[in-house]
Amino acid sequence: MSLLKVEHLSKSFKGLQVLRDVSLEVREGERHVIIGPNGAGKTTLFNCMTGTLPINEGKVVVNGQQISGLPAYTAVRMGMSRTFQKNNLFGELSVEENIHLAVTACKPYRFHFLKPASKYAEMLAETQELLAQWGLWERRSRIVSELSYGEQRLLEVILALASKPNILLLDEPTSGMSPAETVQTTMLIQSMPRSITLLVIEHDMEVVFSIADRITVLHHGEVFLSGSPDEISGDARVKEIYFGGGTLKHA
Amino acid sequence: MRANIWRTPTLFIAILLLLPLILTNYGVKLTSEVLIMAIFVMSLGLIIGFAGLVSLGHAAFFGLGAYVVALLGTHLDNTYVLIIAAAVISGIVAFVSGLLFIRSSGAYFLMITLAFGQMLFAIFYKMESVTGGADGMAVSASLNLGFGAIESRVGFYYLVTIAFLVSYYLLRVFISSPLGKGVRGIKENESRMTALGYNIRHYKLIVYSLSGMLAGFAGALYAYFNQYVSPDLLHWMFSGQALIMVIVGGVGTLVGPAIGAGFFVILQSYISSYTDRWPMIMGVIFVAIVLYGRGGILQIAMLLWNKLRPKRHKEEETPILPKEGNGFESVKG
Ligand SMILES: Nc1ncnc2c1ncn2[C@@H]1O[C@H](COP(=O)(O)OP(=O)(O)O)[C@@H](O)[C@H]1O
Ligand SMILES: [Mg+2]
Repeated sequence: MSLLKVEHLSKSFKGLQVLRDVSLEVREGERHVIIGPNGAGKTTLFNCMTGTLPINEGKVVVNGQQISGLPAYTAVRMGMSRTFQKNNLFGELSVEENIHLAVTACKPYRFHFLKPASKYAEMLAETQELLAQWGLWERRSRIVSELSYGEQRLLEVILALASKPNILLLDEPTSGMSPAETVQTTMLIQSMPRSITLLVIEHDMEVVFSIADRITVLHHGEVFLSGSPDEISGDARVKEIYFGGGTLKHA
Repeated sequence: MRANIWRTPTLFIAILLLLPLILTNYGVKLTSEVLIMAIFVMSLGLIIGFAGLVSLGHAAFFGLGAYVVALLGTHLDNTYVLIIAAAVISGIVAFVSGLLFIRSSGAYFLMITLAFGQMLFAIFYKMESVTGGADGMAVSASLNLGFGAIESRVGFYYLVTIAFLVSYYLLRVFISSPLGKGVRGIKENESRMTALGYNIRHYKLIVYSLSGMLAGFAGALYAYFNQYVSPDLLHWMFSGQALIMVIVGGVGTLVGPAIGAGFFVILQSYISSYTDRWPMIMGVIFVAIVLYGRGGILQIAMLLWNKLRPKRHKEEETPILPKEGNGFESVKG
């Protein structure tokens, strides 16, 4: 059964239609990748799904519950969290403080104000675990704006994971990374447990084909094609619109 | 490094407690006023420096608290009830008004708080039969915490010292608490906080209400201190002065606003005995500090302290950051 459903979603900005009748289904445990040329509307689709932007038509259903129309902060409560294409972090705070905020977001003690946050053992433990697991333990007290771009990109993902989501939306997780960092990040994504359903926007075809169970091609705001990696890589029209005739595997 | 001066709060507390022994009667009175203003300016510093909400109407809550003591004080005399009523009513007014305009931010928030403050000012100014209008009214309630009336300047000084220390301590706990950290996160990056699952409006509303409450508490103390209240206490000019004290003292800290309050109250009391161009002088100091000392007096004091303090402490100064040669350092912007 589908864990995440987008039904007939349309979105326009002041007359400019960016998404047109987009429907999408993601099964539980699936790793679904969205590809499409720049400006196809991929990021806008994420923004509409998470409530960051209001949608004009259609609906988004997570785990049987309609989420569209609800405020953006409820997405995480329903188990869906996201990363941003452009790093969107707390640049003036340390790595650790960034993760503290992410871990605390849905905890019952998030409104407590009579005890220092540093006294909450559970929060500290979860932070420590994330830092260790993602190799940022050594850099935990660094101010985020001092991290390398690749490390900041990684922190994007860690912040989204901190709420222990069922559904994780990654918007171009490897964009701007060095080839080595890209390989590392791909491996980290692959190593995520299947209990996390992934919907990933990705440009790098090596990455796409090494993580995807299913691929959806978005073109001019419409779903052009949705299918298995083999179906997509074998489709001549996809090659035509997206890769300008180049080969899929080595785009 | 920054914490060095303040790492010894006992020293500071001891100074505060011993001060009346060396100060003149006037000095004690002035220091009491400084401490009351410091509570008020810290309450403003909380929303500006930690939540990014720059208000130009915060005096409304201070004045409201003062008027609660003056007005209710004509009917009842219990100091606890009056002070708590002042804080709670100010907090409720902050909450209700916050419900309406916490959505706006930046210049809009500044304008709307300004308008709201002026509206409250107009109410107290116009309701002459109740408030005495522009003439203000005397505070008739006596200060009594249950151990007899506090009538001496020194007795009052100790009361506000305790009020200041407790306010400061509670604010310290607040900013380090999960809620306080969330507020700080919102100032840093609203869209990320939302994406993490924070309802940022709740946070802003809570911190705004707490801040209004603390301002009302300071106002209540001021009513006892001055034994007279007037609509000027709610006027935007007073809000503006408090805003300048926050900025001059140092935005983003608690100590900064307290220092800013002390600096201006003391300076004003001296300068205004020579000239009545006080607002202009305050403006010039403000511009100078904004232009040349971005972190305010607090930062300037830290720089001087680091330059002037005895050499034997030199070793502590070297940053404790580990030297790591992994090539990441060169990347930083
Ligand atoms: N907030 C916005 N206001 C107006 N137009 C926007 C906005 N966000 C995106 N767009 C437009 O929508 C189109 C799709 O953008 P986007 O979703 O970022 O594409 P992609 O992520 O696929 O590269 C682009 O033409 C872009 O200019
Ligand atoms: Mg995009």
